[in-house]
Amino acid sequence: MLRAALKGMAARKARLALTSIAIILGSAFIAAALVLTASIQATVDDLNAEAYAGADALVQPADAESRSEDLVQQGIPAEALAAVESTAGVDHVAATVSWAISAIGDNGKVVGGLAPTTAVNWGDEARERELREGRAPETDGEVAVSAKFAADSGLGLGETVTAYSQTTDQTEYAIVGVYGYAGGRDSISGGTEIAFTTAEAQRLVFDGEDAYSVLAVYAADGTGADDLVAALEPVIGAESQVTSWEDYNAEASAQTAKLTKTIGNFLLGFGLVAVFVSVFLIANTFSIVIAGRLKEIAMMRAIGAGRGQVVRSILAEALLLGTIAAAVGAAVGVAGGAGLTAAIANSFFDAAQVSVAVPPTAILAALAVGIGVTVLAALVPAVRASRVPPVEAMRAAAKTDRPITLLTVSGAIIALAGGGAMALGLTGNLGGDTADLTGTAVGAGLVFVGVTMLTAWLSKPLVGALGLIWSWNFAGKLGRRNAGRNPRRTAVTASALMIGVTLVTATATLLTSVKASIEDYFGEAVKAELFVTGPAVSEVPASFDPAVMDDIRAIDDVDAAVEVYYDIADIDGTDQYVNTTTDFGGIVDLFGGTLAEGDSDELADDEIAVNQSAADELGVGMGDIVTATFSRGTEAHEFTVAAILVDNENTDGWYVAPAYVEEFYTTKPMMALVDVADGADIDAVTAAVDDALADEPEVSAQNHEEFVGEVTVFFDFAIIAIQLLLGLAMIVAVIGVINTLILSVLERTRELGMLRAIGMTRGQTVRMVIVESVTIALFGAVLGVAVGLGLGWALQNALADSGVDVFAVPTTLIAGYLAAAVLVGLLAAIAPAARAAKTNILGAIAYE
Amino acid sequence: MSTASPVRTTAVSAEGLWKAYGMGEAQVVALRDVSVEFASGAFTAIMGPSGSGKSTLMHCLAGLDTTDRGTVHIGDTAVTGLGDKALTKLRRDKIGFIFQQFNLLPTLTAEENITLPAAIAGAKADPAWINQIIKTLDLADRLSHKPTELSGGQQQRVACARALASRPEVVFADEPTGNLDTRSGAEVLRFLRTSVDDFGQTIVMVTHDPSAAAYADRVVFLADGQIVEDMAEPTADKVIDKMKHFEELVAAAQGEHA
Ligand SMILES: Nc1ncnc2c1ncn2[C@@H]1O[C@H](COP(=O)(O)OP(=O)(O)OP(=O)(O)O)[C@@H](O)[C@H]1O
Ligand SMILES: [Mg+2]
Repeated sequence: MLRAALKGMAARKARLALTSIAIILGSAFIAAALVLTASIQATVDDLNAEAYAGADALVQPADAESRSEDLVQQGIPAEALAAVESTAGVDHVAATVSWAISAIGDNGKVVGGLAPTTAVNWGDEARERELREGRAPETDGEVAVSAKFAADSGLGLGETVTAYSQTTDQTEYAIVGVYGYAGGRDSISGGTEIAFTTAEAQRLVFDGEDAYSVLAVYAADGTGADDLVAALEPVIGAESQVTSWEDYNAEASAQTAKLTKTIGNFLLGFGLVAVFVSVFLIANTFSIVIAGRLKEIAMMRAIGAGRGQVVRSILAEALLLGTIAAAVGAAVGVAGGAGLTAAIANSFFDAAQVSVAVPPTAILAALAVGIGVTVLAALVPAVRASRVPPVEAMRAAAKTDRPITLLTVSGAIIALAGGGAMALGLTGNLGGDTADLTGTAVGAGLVFVGVTMLTAWLSKPLVGALGLIWSWNFAGKLGRRNAGRNPRRTAVTASALMIGVTLVTATATLLTSVKASIEDYFGEAVKAELFVTGPAVSEVPASFDPAVMDDIRAIDDVDAAVEVYYDIADIDGTDQYVNTTTDFGGIVDLFGGTLAEGDSDELADDEIAVNQSAADELGVGMGDIVTATFSRGTEAHEFTVAAILVDNENTDGWYVAPAYVEEFYTTKPMMALVDVADGADIDAVTAAVDDALADEPEVSAQNHEEFVGEVTVFFDFAIIAIQLLLGLAMIVAVIGVINTLILSVLERTRELGMLRAIGMTRGQTVRMVIVESVTIALFGAVLGVAVGLGLGWALQNALADSGVDVFAVPTTLIAGYLAAAVLVGLLAAIAPAARAAKTNILGAIAYE
Repeated sequence: MSTASPVRTTAVSAEGLWKAYGMGEAQVVALRDVSVEFASGAFTAIMGPSGSGKSTLMHCLAGLDTTDRGTVHIGDTAVTGLGDKALTKLRRDKIGFIFQQFNLLPTLTAEENITLPAAIAGAKADPAWINQIIKTLDLADRLSHKPTELSGGQQQRVACARALASRPEVVFADEPTGNLDTRSGAEVLRFLRTSVDDFGQTIVMVTHDPSAAAYADRVVFLADGQIVEDMAEPTADKVIDKMKHFEELVAAAQGEHA
């Protein structure tokens, strides 16, 4: 039977090639994801290893790990440096000052966007820097800039650059040098850098304190790294810690691993979607191919082949196909992963050397998934084929439709069970929030599976109805009938598209609803019409000079304007979000907050206000005392709770008097609210506020819509990411539709021949196939949109208590998905329609 | 047994048709210099041994296949040299087909299958005419059925109705009774006969069955790509008798061009 399987495959090369594209795609994504993850890791590890190369031990601030979370740079005090330098076994120490700052380019914008510019002290030896032009900075007003900074900012030797940190005002520096890095690179990892004198770097980064970010310690001859670390440990003091260079690198590598893992998981997700969708495709192809071979199988059975042999021969075919396709997929994936690494490394890391790593798991996983999925998908059609009695198959060869009752009934039961679980979860009847949410989620999943099973049943009325759109001519009518001819086949083909569209529609609906809810809330509750703020996503929080507030208040039609400072402070031992403002009552009023207890009078220096749930969390009430230490603060302050706010996302947090701003991490305001007079021209006021902000590159005036857009910008990223997934599912869907149509066209060769013989034109034949294709694709998309909207609605309802109380339909996106489905249908129809039009009439009607 | 129309014109004519398949050694000459005319309003059967070129001749006459040499006319239209578009239109408007099997579209009802050529042409079938055919074929109570719900004989009757629905110049039938039992076959043949007698339809039918040929007005015998006999007023006995001499006829024909 194996030989028969091989011969059968050779005879159906084209069909199998199409099927294998899906398998190749799935395997390739998996291999690429794993190769990319490993390669980026290797590349970044190499880059990391360059840092402090040659040093034996590194002294860092004691809380280096939590640094990135609260954004506060703790320094190593100068005394520690002195102590290290005088320790036995130390040859010399290179002290680094390094932290993110803001610098303004020649276009008036902040250089670097998401990734900020790094300030360093020239001569730190953290990296090998090579001066290309000019000289090193010698006075505090001079800087050298990296070649990448020069390119990005448009500023060069002899020009001045404006830079400032979270604590300093905008300052101008003369650029006296431009430098690159070892290996002729313009940047490390694509970042921009400015080198200051040590004193100036300390003014920017440590507010003028004589402190350092890292001490790179070089051992004297004969002293090992471990001995050095042991010798340094007792002298550096409690605020610092020491590690060997190896351990430091291992830690850096582990940090990178977190990031690369995220990228890798994202790609793996793509691979899994491709694989999941291809299961349908492969199963469908095998079903159709087997349907066309029922006579042959029946003949084999009649001459004595056993059921097992039939199954085995089909599985052998699947195994062979799966192996070939998975192998090709693995190869494509490895090549793609390597190429992608090079592309990413070159554009994001500006790395001179790309290390491609191909972990064996990449190839094994790709092969296992590709082969496994193919064999699994072929199993059901194979077993079904073996169950057909020989006589039946011979008789019913032309009529391959099997009843779909069982499928429909089980689908309905599953969908109903899912709906029930969702209903119970949504109405909070499952006992407990977690149970309710889990119930809703599981229910949503069941509904999805159930509807997928119901597609065959739904295809009858829906395909008919959708097809009506095209029924204005006869060819279209025939196409529509063909689409509805084999519900199972149509359903499975459309499912590939349905899955993708459901996914994006549900996500887009939920995110749009969240956005609409926030907007709705803003429109109702927030009194301020304009916000002065920067991008929500940035490594360095946007801030501005408080002096501009007077200019803003002076604008006609501005009733009030209040600036806000933020910090994350330690309050009674926990990290808390603290605001301060010159006008506590004003901020509460403009943000639409309300007081539960106390009044909105200015807070005294020893008073603090807080929202209800934050107070409850710490177990404090009116009149209680709390202790707070701010980011840059060296001592704790005691406050009395003087007001309690009703919970409200906009005003949640702690409020103190402005006296402590100098102890905040960012000593400048990060946001301002502007109340515009009723009836005033908002656009004119916006322009006037922007004028006042002309010298503040990081912030701008935003109206509600823009502000909400900024706050919810992450959702846009999420929607784009999900849409990429849809794109992939669509590619597989196109292949699926092509496959089904080609097989159907081949199956209907005689019919097509007859139609052409009795006078159907080539054009009509093409139209007929196109209508069938578009109808199938649209059917999948419409189902996907319907299920997606349903799930989105359910999720929105489940989250209604958390503030997502508006249901919004992403109409433009949905229209886009439907249009994309039509496009999928048209694309998929090209080859099958051409094939159908070329049908050789004589060949088709020649008798067997 | 014929004469429905008083003035006989020619519905289909072929002049010096040659048709060969393949090249060189493997070349098979399917038609050798065939010239034949089919009068309108006549029922002609084409007979001959397997491989003698019956289907090839019919395909050439119907514009389904090209000829190497010679000309074909359907009515006044010269078929030879027409492009695909014109041929398609010709088949749609002037020719009806009945095949041995797989004649109907499974997605359409019997009635829709009958009016299929008109639908393809974007025209409306003449309802009175369609009704008359349906009545003659006794299909009135089967119109809303799909082909899978019809017996083989009923299916072939629907195919007959479809072939006649557009009042074509000529109906070509390639072994229309080949897949049917004797009774169903006889029903189909009786209808073909009726359509010639009552409606003046021209029919050219390829068959292996002498009793089927007996329904025709005339039988043309093909052997090895040549017309070897043209018999008027055939009966089953006369045809069987002729067929018994086929061995000689074939031998004679081969002798001629050897
Ligand atoms: N497409 C083709 N390619 C090569 N040879 C062909 C082709 N079609 C027919 N022939 C040959 O042409 C000759 C005539 O074939 P044709 O089909 O016309 O015979 P027929 O009389 O209809 O036979 P049957 O009664 O078996 O249907 C045969 O020898 C056949 O092998
Ligand atoms: Mg034949």
